[in-house]
Amino acid sequence: MHENFDEVYRDCFQEITNVAMGQAADLLARILNVFIVLPIPNVNILESSELHMALSAIDESRSVSAVCQGFIGGGISGEALLIFNDSSFSDVAHLRHNFNSDINENVELELLMDISNVLIGACLRGIADQLDLKFSQGHPKVLGRHVNVEQLIKTNAQRWKKTLAIEVNYTIEEHDVNCDLLLLFTEDSFETLKTKADYLLE
Amino acid sequence: MKTQVLICDDSSFARKQMIKALPDGWDIEIHQAGNGMEAIEAIKAGKGDIMFLDLTMPVMDGYEVLETIKKEDLPSMVIVVSGDIQPEAIDRVKKLGALEFIKKPISKEVAQKILSDFGILAG
Repeated sequence: MHENFDEVYRDCFQEITNVAMGQAADLLARILNVFIVLPIPNVNILESSELHMALSAIDESRSVSAVCQGFIGGGISGEALLIFNDSSFSDVAHLRHNFNSDINENVELELLMDISNVLIGACLRGIADQLDLKFSQGHPKVLGRHVNVEQLIKTNAQRWKKTLAIEVNYTIEEHDVNCDLLLLFTEDSFETLKTKADYLLE
Repeated sequence: MKTQVLICDDSSFARKQMIKALPDGWDIEIHQAGNGMEAIEAIKAGKGDIMFLDLTMPVMDGYEVLETIKKEDLPSMVIVVSGDIQPEAIDRVKKLGALEFIKKPISKEVAQKILSDFGILAG
């Protein structure tokens, strides 16, 4: 744990995330007409080299696809990553569009973009609302397709030394759908995040 | 005897927010629990006439707390306070006997209204 980011702030951001991820899940649940199982979010300060340890819910050996999207606003910046288990595509395709044809690369890409758009957008909005600020989002970028988590992270997140990592694992009840939403805040954002939290902790 | 109010949430920040949202001048004694197991113990000790209950918690979650209260017929009026706002979640907790569902973050106005609606708060 980072010396300047003690348990009080960790608890506060865990709760803020809890509310935001609930709003995001509600949106996705309505689109797919399912019930989404919500976990307790993980909030940690990490060296970026330790990032793979933050991904507790994703099996390192499984094949994943991922989208990343930068965000910035009010002195806070970072990146959102949505890591999607490749085995989830067929179930989501069925829920989303009732695709009859085989799932091809294009369909997968569309689904990946769809889900990440909903979850990243709603989660960031939920956090920003509570902190009383606004984030602008960059363009979503496909980070990797059909790779493992280690490959994914190796090519990324080496840009900052330390990061505040928030991990939310979404699973859909009675379906084989599993994805991990990771919000990585830059080290430069820590002070502003704490100031914003102080208002709520007063 | 004062009304015993129990606030059950794994986040101390959330418990603090909940306490701040309670009506001013309400003559109560406040107790806190960090998970469902602690909440059940507190209710059995007579500390939970009214409980504000979170859903997502370690050890024992809110659904399990509601099931236990129902099964063992424990004396507690439960108001669920949660970030999980899926219609299905609201439906499930009401079926399990929760009096009402409040979405997080809770405001003083909402807490006041619900407590008045259920006649818990006079006036």
